[in-house]
Amino acid sequence: MKVECDKLCPEWPCEQPEEFKDVWVVVEAEEGRLNEASLQMLTPGRTIADKLKESLVGVLIGHGVSQLAEDVIKYGADRVIVVDDERLSTYYPRVFGNVVVELARKYKPSVILAAGTRRGREFAPYIANALKAGITADCTDFDVDETTRDVLLIRPPFAAILLAYIKTPFRRPQIGTARPNVFPVPRRDEGKKGEVIFEKANVREEQKVRLISRERLERAKSGVEKASVIVSGGRGIGGPEGMKLLAKLAELLGGTLGASRKAVDAGWADHEMQVGQTGKSVKPILYLAVGISGSAQHMLGVREAQRIIAVNIDPEAPIFAQADYSVVGDYREVVPALIEELEKIKKGGRKALEELLESYT
Amino acid sequence: MRIVVGIKWVPNTQAVRFDPETGTLIRKGVPSIVNPHDLPAVEAALRLREKTGGEVIAISMAPPPAVKGLELVLGMGVDRAILVTDRAFAGADTWATSYVLSHAIRKIAAEIGEVDLAIFGHETIDSSTSHVQAQVASWLDWPYLYYVKRVEPVGGKLLRVWRELEDYEEEYEVETPAVLSIAIKAFKPRPVSLSSKLRAKLEKRVLTWTNADLKLDPRCVGLKGSPTIVAKTIDMPEVPRKKEVYRPKDGKDAARWIIAKMVHDEKLREVLKGLVGGEL
Ligand SMILES: Cc1cc2nc3c(=O)[nH]c(=O)nc-3n(C[C@H](O)[C@H](O)[C@H](O)COP(=O)(O)OP(=O)(O)OC[C@H]3O[C@@H](n4cnc5c(N)ncnc54)[C@H](O)[C@@H]3O)c2cc1C
Ligand SMILES: Nc1ncnc2c1ncn2[C@@H]1O[C@H](COP(=O)(O)O)[C@@H](O)[C@H]1O
Repeated sequence: MKVECDKLCPEWPCEQPEEFKDVWVVVEAEEGRLNEASLQMLTPGRTIADKLKESLVGVLIGHGVSQLAEDVIKYGADRVIVVDDERLSTYYPRVFGNVVVELARKYKPSVILAAGTRRGREFAPYIANALKAGITADCTDFDVDETTRDVLLIRPPFAAILLAYIKTPFRRPQIGTARPNVFPVPRRDEGKKGEVIFEKANVREEQKVRLISRERLERAKSGVEKASVIVSGGRGIGGPEGMKLLAKLAELLGGTLGASRKAVDAGWADHEMQVGQTGKSVKPILYLAVGISGSAQHMLGVREAQRIIAVNIDPEAPIFAQADYSVVGDYREVVPALIEELEKIKKGGRKALEELLESYT
Repeated sequence: MRIVVGIKWVPNTQAVRFDPETGTLIRKGVPSIVNPHDLPAVEAALRLREKTGGEVIAISMAPPPAVKGLELVLGMGVDRAILVTDRAFAGADTWATSYVLSHAIRKIAAEIGEVDLAIFGHETIDSSTSHVQAQVASWLDWPYLYYVKRVEPVGGKLLRVWRELEDYEEEYEVETPAVLSIAIKAFKPRPVSLSSKLRAKLEKRVLTWTNADLKLDPRCVGLKGSPTIVAKTIDMPEVPRKKEVYRPKDGKDAARWIIAKMVHDEKLREVLKGLVGGEL
């Protein structure tokens, strides 16, 4: 499609989409390590690059990051652009963002992806605005329109019941973010070869902001992102005591505790444990939802769960249509009984299990 | 200090229901509210004003009914409020929204007085992008920090700002003018005084600015000025699930049914193997 310049906002540089090429992933690094959420973005980046038949390029900015470039290639990038500069040893959104902007003006990527980390939520829209380009947050999928070569940035708007396909036909680059853990980290390929380009950037030092101190947060990592079993409590749990009961069940199953937003809002669980659209996306083998109604926003976070078991007192609860195995019942009866039976099996092993199975085949 | 707070008038998404018959969202009759994540931003601004003097100005780009939202924050103690409204602004994405808001802030600076700080919520409940504030900062070329939990004035043009990343808490010194975006629930909003809300209403203290005031190029605002467009929407594809529902006699029956299902489901069998520590 030919962009008609006089119809565009004069703030936008008038450029034709075909001037732009390649898919960039801005990779964050901290203390000599690549950020996992950033690496995850190489997964959709690869898909888009393959569909466009273009290259996947990692962009690595900071101080002392050069030695990480090969890792980015092993995770799938065909090329890595590195800016390693002492003036980038402290991250400031404007400084970091402006380096990406300068590189993007030079290389003209067609797509820029970044992880929706707290920092990503800070610098990605900044970059988009400086480039006068469109940006779509919290994408859950991407596709390419074969005829126009526009990237479709797919995200649930509003109430998580719909998926919107968003495109930016008149502006490049096309910028998108996704929340951590929506995509997997690509498989590392030790044999993968690629090109590393070292760039010098005109680093504009931050005059107005000064980092005074930073402290590692020793908060109990909830670990829901990585857990293979999650026992999650909702509003129906009724209080912190209920969460303790669920914690016991989680421990028995070798899992961890999760929560719905209502349980978090009620103060029974930490925000770190929240599963769903505005919480974590999880992919356990088993997601056991207790006293959770099954709102679209909550269920968006468990789409990748292999199996969902639900316990809910209301026979009409929407979660029953979205779970694998559900029981209609009061969790105050079901959960203690489940703990008791599981403990029996833990002690009695196979024999206890066989005994139980006799009556349920 | 003169502090501008951006608030958005949003449909109360909690009240949106799904119609399983038609498979669509029932938006009719859904009331709008002030984005709940913006109230802590208002609170942060009011507390700063209490320490430094000055005034707090709330702005919102929205259709006329949003005047109610602005009256609400006037009831919290905000000094003035500006509704930025024009048919030409409709259909704006975050780029076009931030464009209008940044020009409104410039107009405040030109006509009311120098603006020291712009404070925003961390995201909205209807689009939850966290873009608008970063984009406003970019337009104004002011420094920006996201997810701020505490702000203290240190004198002169300096502020102490604490913010939280996933793994770190950071303390910054920031020179104003600047843009800050307040973390979820970081400040508990004070209750609205009904008498001051009523007074705000009677005194018509909400100013209205249209594009006749801002004089922005119509190609840069609203739908036309939005680089992103929604190509289509589809229903969220359903994840295939077994959907077996059991009505147990009692807790024990429920527990045993669940365990039996786990044994017969290859995937869940793995979980039980962990429990007995070996083959089943
Ligand atoms: C923009 C937006 C983003 C959101 N993001 C998230 C998110 O990330 N995560 C999230 O979880 N929510 C999110 N929500 C909120 C979501 O819409 C729901 O309000 C929330 O998930 C409901 O939580 P719940 O299921 O625990 O509570 P409810 O919907 O109140 O359900 C409680 C359930 O408990 C059952 N129950 C009651 N007593 C018992 C008992 N004794 N035994 C067994 N069952 C019992 C009830 O039958 C009921 O089904 C979001 C909302 C919006 C608008
Ligand atoms: N139309 C608007 N008018 C005023 N402020 C807004 C508007 N839209 C968004 N904001 C502010 O920007 C923040 C982030 O919004 P969003 O990018 O939609 O998540 C909100 O918390 C508000 O403080």
